[in-house]
Amino acid sequence: MNTNMKTPLPVTVLQYLALGGFLLFLGFPVLWIVSASFKSSAELNSLSANLIPNEWVFTNFTTALERQNLLTSAGNSFLVAVSTMVIAVIVTLPMSYALARLRGKLRAAGTVWILATQVFPQILIIIPLFLVLRTLMLNDTLLGLILVYVTFTLPFTLWMMQGYVAAVPRELEDAGSMDGASRFKVLVHIVFPLLRPGLMATAMFTFVSAWNEFFLALVLLQSPELFTLPITLRAFLGAEGQTQLGPLAAGAVLATIPSLIVFSFLQKKLTGGMLAGAVKG
Amino acid sequence: MNSKKSIGALALLTAGAFALTACQQGSSSGGGGGGSEDGAVTLQFQSLSDQPATQEAVSSAVEQWNSDNPDVQVEIIQAGWDGAYDKLITQFTGGTAPDIVHFDGASIVSFAQDGYLADLSGGLSEERIADVPQGIWDAVTVNEEIIAYPSTLQSYIAFANVDLLEEAGVEVPTGETMTWDELAEIAEATTTDDVYGIGWGLGSPAATVMTLAPGFGGDFFSGTGEDVQIEVGDAELEVPERIHEMAYEDESLDPVSLTQSGSDVLASFYGGTVAMTVQGSFQATNIANDAPEGFNWVALPPLEGSEGALQAVNPQTYSVNIDSEHVDEATAFLDFFASGETMAAIAQADALIPASESARAVVAEETGGEDGWDQILASADGMVGAPFLQADGYAEWKETTLNPALQQYLGDQIDSEQLAQQLTDGWG
Repeated sequence: MNTNMKTPLPVTVLQYLALGGFLLFLGFPVLWIVSASFKSSAELNSLSANLIPNEWVFTNFTTALERQNLLTSAGNSFLVAVSTMVIAVIVTLPMSYALARLRGKLRAAGTVWILATQVFPQILIIIPLFLVLRTLMLNDTLLGLILVYVTFTLPFTLWMMQGYVAAVPRELEDAGSMDGASRFKVLVHIVFPLLRPGLMATAMFTFVSAWNEFFLALVLLQSPELFTLPITLRAFLGAEGQTQLGPLAAGAVLATIPSLIVFSFLQKKLTGGMLAGAVKG
Repeated sequence: MNSKKSIGALALLTAGAFALTACQQGSSSGGGGGGSEDGAVTLQFQSLSDQPATQEAVSSAVEQWNSDNPDVQVEIIQAGWDGAYDKLITQFTGGTAPDIVHFDGASIVSFAQDGYLADLSGGLSEERIADVPQGIWDAVTVNEEIIAYPSTLQSYIAFANVDLLEEAGVEVPTGETMTWDELAEIAEATTTDDVYGIGWGLGSPAATVMTLAPGFGGDFFSGTGEDVQIEVGDAELEVPERIHEMAYEDESLDPVSLTQSGSDVLASFYGGTVAMTVQGSFQATNIANDAPEGFNWVALPPLEGSEGALQAVNPQTYSVNIDSEHVDEATAFLDFFASGETMAAIAQADALIPASESARAVVAEETGGEDGWDQILASADGMVGAPFLQADGYAEWKETTLNPALQQYLGDQIDSEQLAQQLTDGWG
């Protein structure tokens, strides 16, 4: 059977057109915000909808950096997001393995608990959470915020990771055991390497969740020097609906850069198909 | 080998991150201020002012106070408007609210009703109290207690493209007030194939409708606190009905603008596709800064309804946390902070109207009435306290009932009877 059938040219062209359209659809908001960050206030408030600014203005960036302590906030956000990502991944890994592989009432109870925690809206538990953190002397600290983020992302990351674990064939573990490897060795040398794409996906999810989160940070942080980026960027939205669109766009562009760097680093590791051919049927 | 390195790197990264974050202790985590080693009292003042010039005015006043009062020092905690309600409710409930709180009348009243705010009436000087019109005090009085000092406020003003009015042969109104009928007539006269007479950003119409309702005697509510009754009659429906009429009967109001924000409509105003626009008065400064060169615009006189050029006042406010250990000192600071000069500086920076007469006089003198300030300041004369400010649950009703119902009505999806029914049924 010939598996190297060539795709007809019109189909290829259509595929690329569809892909281009999809990329444009996803990328347009980003292009627009970059464009807006270089426009003057007058141009932003005109009816012209040009993507290329009539006059390139850089003052939005200086305003954003000077006015709102953006760099400090970016540092806080990065610290919180990376810490949340690392802790969540480290905690999720063994828990998700247990959830996927073990059988019994405890596992069922764990599954129910994970689903139940997703039911409660943040607004419902914010005050008790605030009081607990206050008792622990962790309110208005980044450490407190990280622990809260880990707590909030854990159910979803567990759910995500246990799917990846379940996809790893048991036969691979059995083969390792038959060769004399201990349970720990099997996990470290066989299972965990196969879970790398899943770990990367989980890492990305937790990083983005923590990087973008606004409400919990707003309520739990009181000190301006600890504010994360979403809080600082919202300062460009004033009372009575006033919006400083130029500096806000510039701030958003700057805020995107660390996120892009992390993504470009992680996405290389996010490769599927590692299990292809691992088990012959 | 690689995986070992990765695990080591991760562990190192985590340890480093924790070491760093553990060192990060906030400077504002206390429940209000407190004493210091040298015996001086420190008051925490949470300010929401977001404009650089406003922040400068606030800082300048605080520095002045701190140098005059070494025993009572004030520390500014800068916060933002977005999410301020959630932040405050958590702070008050968790016992970590600052000593002095900046907010707005419509939202701060509920905190007063829950017993979180101190009565300022005994602590503010007679000079300060006499400086603010009674109608504005009414907006911040709960159970006969003054629960906040009203600082600045906004009115709704019509702005006009003078060239388009002149092209249509319309004389620009220059009287002390302008009636709603005049507004409708000018809108009709200036409407052409390419231009709508008026653009009105009513994507979230609740605040505009409630603010302008007193002009026709629209109260919506009677009673206070939990005993509030709602009544949506002819007077209450007058403002939305007139807007609806301009949009769908006269066809002089751009219906698309009814789905936009005020700022969105400014682009149409600058582009000459609408001859007039009704905006929050603060937009005068934005128009002065952002309008194309040579754009000939003017602020029109305050809108007058059957009861006069009245608008509901919803001032920005400064309150004192009742659980503060230093209520008297905090109130004394507020009395100092509310000086005409400071309030005028804040008002000008935010392009808002000062609540106090003395600050208004300063603004009038310093602006010379330019850039619409003459009409904006004149509109402040018709500011009255509104019953909705005293209604327990107003904020929730506004979001869940009033805004959606008005959006449907102004989108021509329901009639005014259905609007009245929805507003009444949606209350408690």
